[in-house]
Amino acid sequence: MKYIVIGNGIAGIQAAETIRKMDSEGSITMIGDETCSPYCRPMISLVLEGVLSPEKLAIRGEDFYEKLHIEPVLGNRVTHIDVADRQVIIDETSKGGRKTGFSFDKLLIASGADARSIKADGLNLKNIFYMRGQEHVLKMLEALTTAKSALVLGGGLVGFKAAYGLMKRGLEVTMLIKSGYPLSMQVDEPAGNLILQELVKHGLKVFVGAEVSSFEGDRQVTGAHLTDNSFIKCDMVVIGKGVLPSLSFVPRDQIKVDLGIMVDEHLETSSSEIYAAGDVAEYVDIARKTRWVNAIWPEAVNQGRLAGMNMAGRPVALKGSLSRNVIRIFDVDVMTCGLVNPPADSDHQVISQINPRKSLYRKLVFKNDILAGMVMVNQVDQGGLFAALIQSEIPVRIPKESMLNPGFNYKQLI
Amino acid sequence: MKKVVVHPERCVGCMQCMVGCATAHSRSGELFSAICEVPIPKPRIHVGVGLYGEGFPNRCRHCDPAPCMLACLPGAIYRNADFDTVMIDPDRCINCASCAMACPFGVIRYHEDIHAPIKKVVAVKCDNCIARQTKGLIPACVEVCKSNALTFETLTDALKRKTNEVARTVSAEAKQVTAPGFNLLNAIKKAQTELKVNCSRRGN
Repeated sequence: MKYIVIGNGIAGIQAAETIRKMDSEGSITMIGDETCSPYCRPMISLVLEGVLSPEKLAIRGEDFYEKLHIEPVLGNRVTHIDVADRQVIIDETSKGGRKTGFSFDKLLIASGADARSIKADGLNLKNIFYMRGQEHVLKMLEALTTAKSALVLGGGLVGFKAAYGLMKRGLEVTMLIKSGYPLSMQVDEPAGNLILQELVKHGLKVFVGAEVSSFEGDRQVTGAHLTDNSFIKCDMVVIGKGVLPSLSFVPRDQIKVDLGIMVDEHLETSSSEIYAAGDVAEYVDIARKTRWVNAIWPEAVNQGRLAGMNMAGRPVALKGSLSRNVIRIFDVDVMTCGLVNPPADSDHQVISQINPRKSLYRKLVFKNDILAGMVMVNQVDQGGLFAALIQSEIPVRIPKESMLNPGFNYKQLI
Repeated sequence: MKKVVVHPERCVGCMQCMVGCATAHSRSGELFSAICEVPIPKPRIHVGVGLYGEGFPNRCRHCDPAPCMLACLPGAIYRNADFDTVMIDPDRCINCASCAMACPFGVIRYHEDIHAPIKKVVAVKCDNCIARQTKGLIPACVEVCKSNALTFETLTDALKRKTNEVARTVSAEAKQVTAPGFNLLNAIKKAQTELKVNCSRRGN
């Protein structure tokens, strides 16, 4: 059996390890564009913050490929998949290289996602960064030696972690966000405001609504003009406008693509023996009850494992994907899971409790008696219980208000 | 292999397992000096309170596959095969709480620990008292439990005993398996909780 895994991120790694566990004979080829040893992408912000050295990012040894008898093909991106010929093609002829084909029996697309780019003049100036991979952060560290002020575009997870890291480095940070509070995709308004207050208390400047129209500078960025005609001075810029699945090489006429590559419960795409997992894959979201790309680490781990099992011949079904996040900044912990902001006209029931004095907040979203979403601010150590309830969709038969109590624990459910 | 088995119906909520656990994971290993240590030793077993005040000793199940292990970003969580125990490496832990989001039982806490670098907050949970077991001792929570809510036995033994207990209840001369005191205690706790609820409803 010839397996090919496109992508050496966590979904690809998990899949390759699972395949190897179940099939010691088959050949596995991993094609990845990053050449370093497998590392933990969510932790790159810790390197920016300065609490983790870059070499501690590695989550597998340098002998990872060798140990599992995987043939690594690193440093290039796949350009095309020939579905009929069962081949993955890397075409470098435009760069003066050669065209190579790799044939497969079973293929996993775990190519992940790329930072969403923005449109503005002067994007090619020095010290303007996307923050997606280890290489980006290493370049940012070089800029840190001279930079005193930074502009962060976007209040999503990346923008937010970048801002936090740069603040910890002592830079003056300004954040441009569209909604009134950061992490609007992950949290609701009260939690968002608690996070915002915490950041502002530590010196973050926040501009709401405006976008960058152009960057100014001679070789190196010195400031940004905004759409509301104001100007912000800065020595470096981080663009954190979310991510988009990397699937430019996927033939859309043969493999069904929506926002991500559409997969079934066995992580198989519309083309048989071709699978997809991780940030590039799209499956049904358990809480939202609709197709959704949940580009998060734990989901990639799970999908990679399951895809590997299915590819190696053990059919295992994925129940659905689930958005979830946990964030710790300064003295605030925030955990969210599932459907956090249900549409106003839906029949979801929302209960919440806020204690501003203790900076505690807990919100639960129910559909009938099934938990569909939660937000917790501080005291998050029981959060896994809620995540498990959302995941399992087991109806809650106890008084729902008791779940808002900080003393709520596993016993109360059994 | 012997494992800690929890019998929630026998828990009286005395929390001695918590004290025993914290002491076992202290520097001195003695209660009276442990309470003066910095960082203050904390338990890895947590007696939760049920809706009616019943106790429940909640500890790590050492799941396989363990959701916390899969969710751990830096790969700090691993399995000790000799003791079939899920362990956390405090040096690798980055205190991100990803494991809290993954644990369906809510048994992981975050605080300083004697095994972690000084002043570093890390994820801490039950380690099946491996240090004690290698000395031939049984886990501390089991040792101090007076009501047999925690036992240390092989799962085969525990299952056999439970099967026998269930089998006995279908006989005409079925004897109550759990000592009647446990049921009485929980009935009283429930009655008290309901009385309190009713009183507060009437505004007294």
